[in-house]
Amino acid sequence: MWQEFSIGVLLVFIAAVIAFFALVVEKDDLHRLLLLDLVEVSSLGIIALLGTDLAEALILPGLVVGIAELLALSQIYVIKEGFRDKVVQGLNIEVIQADAPLIISVLLICYGVVLSGFTGGGVAGLGVVFYFMARGHREHFELLEMASGISWATWIFAFFVFMFIPEYWMFALFLAAIGILLKVMVKLSLSATIWGDGNE
Amino acid sequence: MEMSSLGGIPYYILEFGDELVYFSPYTVSLFLLALVFTMFAVMAKPERQVDIAFGGDAYYAKETSLQELRFRRFMAIACGFASMGAMLTGDIFNFTLFISLVGICNVGIVAAVKNRHVQNAAYQYGIVALSATVPLFGAAALIAATTGTLSMVELWSSATPAVPLVVKALLVLGVMGEGMAPFYAAKAEMFRAPGAPYVIMCSLSSLLIFLRVIEVVLVI
Repeated sequence: MWQEFSIGVLLVFIAAVIAFFALVVEKDDLHRLLLLDLVEVSSLGIIALLGTDLAEALILPGLVVGIAELLALSQIYVIKEGFRDKVVQGLNIEVIQADAPLIISVLLICYGVVLSGFTGGGVAGLGVVFYFMARGHREHFELLEMASGISWATWIFAFFVFMFIPEYWMFALFLAAIGILLKVMVKLSLSATIWGDGNE
Repeated sequence: MEMSSLGGIPYYILEFGDELVYFSPYTVSLFLLALVFTMFAVMAKPERQVDIAFGGDAYYAKETSLQELRFRRFMAIACGFASMGAMLTGDIFNFTLFISLVGICNVGIVAAVKNRHVQNAAYQYGIVALSATVPLFGAAALIAATTGTLSMVELWSSATPAVPLVVKALLVLGVMGEGMAPFYAAKAEMFRAPGAPYVIMCSLSSLLIFLRVIEVVLVI
């Protein structure tokens, strides 16, 4: 086991060194932003090599931090280069303007619901992100935020059930899975609308 | 090294499942420092940059809009909370998460000023901060892999195997990357007025996380 772990760590570090080298050589800011994703993946790789349930618990916050920094950096890039005034209103591609986003999103959301939990939330959220990005968005943010809040409360409630009445663990498990599914889905779909419709 | 000889004997160790918080004289004093400066950030009003018209005796002060003020203040307060968490936590992974949170908040503080030079500096700093998560999280994962635990209380007892020096070096490297904010703030000349006084939170949080990582590296 140690053997495999050491080889894995070595490989990840080689990947990280390559990514850092690319970052040093690259001079274009946008390309640097894209390369940063590679760097980020190698940091998640080291955590994933642990291969225990602890690793899964650690990878989620690591991933969230990475996404947050990437979003922040891309916002800075958009402001820095003055792209803010150009309004993004869906993609102008024929396939996208037909029914494709709807079908793909529905498939992703169904699959996400089957998976449930954080992974399911991620997959279903991706479907919603894709739909919003393809269609532009006229949805109500209050509604999304309310759904997010309620699902978070459900999640916390499930934790209390785990702690105080452990004999209902099955019920709590389902509550927590649904709560985190909705929560992650809503969060991801909000990140799809971050470029705004020009009225901020 | 003994815990008691470095940060003082912990007054209280709060263990709640995996989560671990401990209060020793060292961590508590750093925590109080972060708290006091967060209070300053809450109360402070933004500095106005004064430009003097050359060749005459006219001068004018630049106003900071309410929206910008709110954003900067929010970021400074969030940075204060993140550094408070980083001071008290007794779990290596939580420590690295708080540190990267400090990094994100510092990016926000620097980037809040709508000025091209400042935005450039913020972008460069963001790249450094994001790259620093590799050694930072890598060190935490390697500590878990070599010793089997992330709790600092377990790590300072002699029951667990020693953490390799390389891993400690990685941890320090990661913290250095996240704590680079004052360098970039100075590069964009933010200390004079555009970011003042909130930019002071960058310096303070960097100082605090450096002080804490020294303790962490020495005790584990």
